[in-house]
Amino acid sequence: MHERLSFYVKRDSFLHRLNPLTKLTLVFGLILIAFGSPWYWTPHGIVLLVIFPLSFLGKVQREYFQAAVRLILPAAGFLFIMQALFQPGGETALLRLWLLTITQESLLFAFSNAMRIFVMVSSFTLFLLTTHPSELMSDLTRRGLPGQFAYVIISTLQIIPQMQAKAQTIIAAQRSRGLDTQSSFSKRVGALVPLVGPLVFGSLVEVEERAIAIEARGFTSRRLKTSLYEIPDSALDRALRWGLIAMVVASLASRFLVD
Amino acid sequence: MKFISSIKKDFNTMTWVLIPVAIAINVVMGQIVVLLKLPVYLDSIGTMLVGALCGPWAGALTGTLSNIIWGLAIDPNAFPWWPVAFFIGLVTGFCAKGGLFKSWWKVVITGFLVALTAAIVSTPIAVYLYGGITASGSSFITAYLLQTGQGVLQAVFSTNFLVEPVDKISTALLAFAILQGLSRRFLARFPRPENVQVETGAGRTQLFIAIGVVIVLVLIAAFVLVRILG
Repeated sequence: MHERLSFYVKRDSFLHRLNPLTKLTLVFGLILIAFGSPWYWTPHGIVLLVIFPLSFLGKVQREYFQAAVRLILPAAGFLFIMQALFQPGGETALLRLWLLTITQESLLFAFSNAMRIFVMVSSFTLFLLTTHPSELMSDLTRRGLPGQFAYVIISTLQIIPQMQAKAQTIIAAQRSRGLDTQSSFSKRVGALVPLVGPLVFGSLVEVEERAIAIEARGFTSRRLKTSLYEIPDSALDRALRWGLIAMVVASLASRFLVD
Repeated sequence: MKFISSIKKDFNTMTWVLIPVAIAINVVMGQIVVLLKLPVYLDSIGTMLVGALCGPWAGALTGTLSNIIWGLAIDPNAFPWWPVAFFIGLVTGFCAKGGLFKSWWKVVITGFLVALTAAIVSTPIAVYLYGGITASGSSFITAYLLQTGQGVLQAVFSTNFLVEPVDKISTALLAFAILQGLSRRFLARFPRPENVQVETGAGRTQLFIAIGVVIVLVLIAAFVLVRILG
């Protein structure tokens, strides 16, 4: 129950070995290109020619497609249906349903929007599947991110599962005492207080002890700390990062040139 | 320089340790609410707690990291909404600094101001990133407004304006109730304990003021909506 909360899958692949910053650049690069590029087919091309092959290159294709079906497709699909139905404008009517008209324009608009969201969420998912959170944080700390930020992110990822377990215990305990969590609306609102109270007060009490503990271990010290693990940053990584930045600039520039 | 040093003062070790706990409270509360099937989110209680106790910038940081971690660990769809969480923490912090976190009717005003900010900030994200219709349930209202011939910006903003106040006011009231339950000795360890010291006043006058404030807020809301829609 006390394991860390993350998508990370431990494998040995090219994508896993890349420096975390390179992968982060890749994520933001893909998103910016998908949203910035003036050509209609860019987001679709990115999905088919970049994201799908990358998932195989990272040996996480099974996990990626599972996440895509479970998390990304429902959101993108809902977005697509809603926008295709309700986006006003467009002349070529394809289908009339009661009051709603699906036009060719609204369908194309909805499809490209859904694909952009698909690119955005997919590239983050791929990043999370191949990068361990503490690896990312220690690399960013080495590059000058204040240690406090790394502490906040890593310890939150540890606290959330603990607190979820605590919440489960509290819910079970209060139910066994006869707390009604399922019937009428007013009863469910009333159930909020006996559930939230113990959970929140219990976790806030620990704050003070933890503050004293990390203070005693030099948390606010400004000195550079040494690290047990070295995270590789090869020449290939640097080349990839600059290449990606150049591509983002090119796609944004082409947008202004085309307009 | 005075500005930066005042921010530094807000980030003591207690603040840095409170932030992860507050983020976890955000996440777990969001899930408890789903379990109880209540029609609100209540996923920024922790952000508001930090905003009130440790100042606006700590609140803003909590909100931002909260969304980043939500995206990292639970649902990558949460990333693009971080500016909304940023401003929820920031506005709560400034309201608390101005003394609007000291009695329950003032907290209602805080909640209303936060809701207004959240509605304004989330509108451009919904419009430019998602084309107006997002993957949340309230988009049906937006879709209806679009069909009646509204512009995208107006439709999204009026939807947010209808949905946000209920959620943010109840969030603010819950955060206030939690702060009231904590001991003064504990609160004194944080940078801004004076923000949440309760005012004692005559109960009856307070109640009248509260009712008056709520009526005025509803009137303002109705006025703004009519202006947008009309």
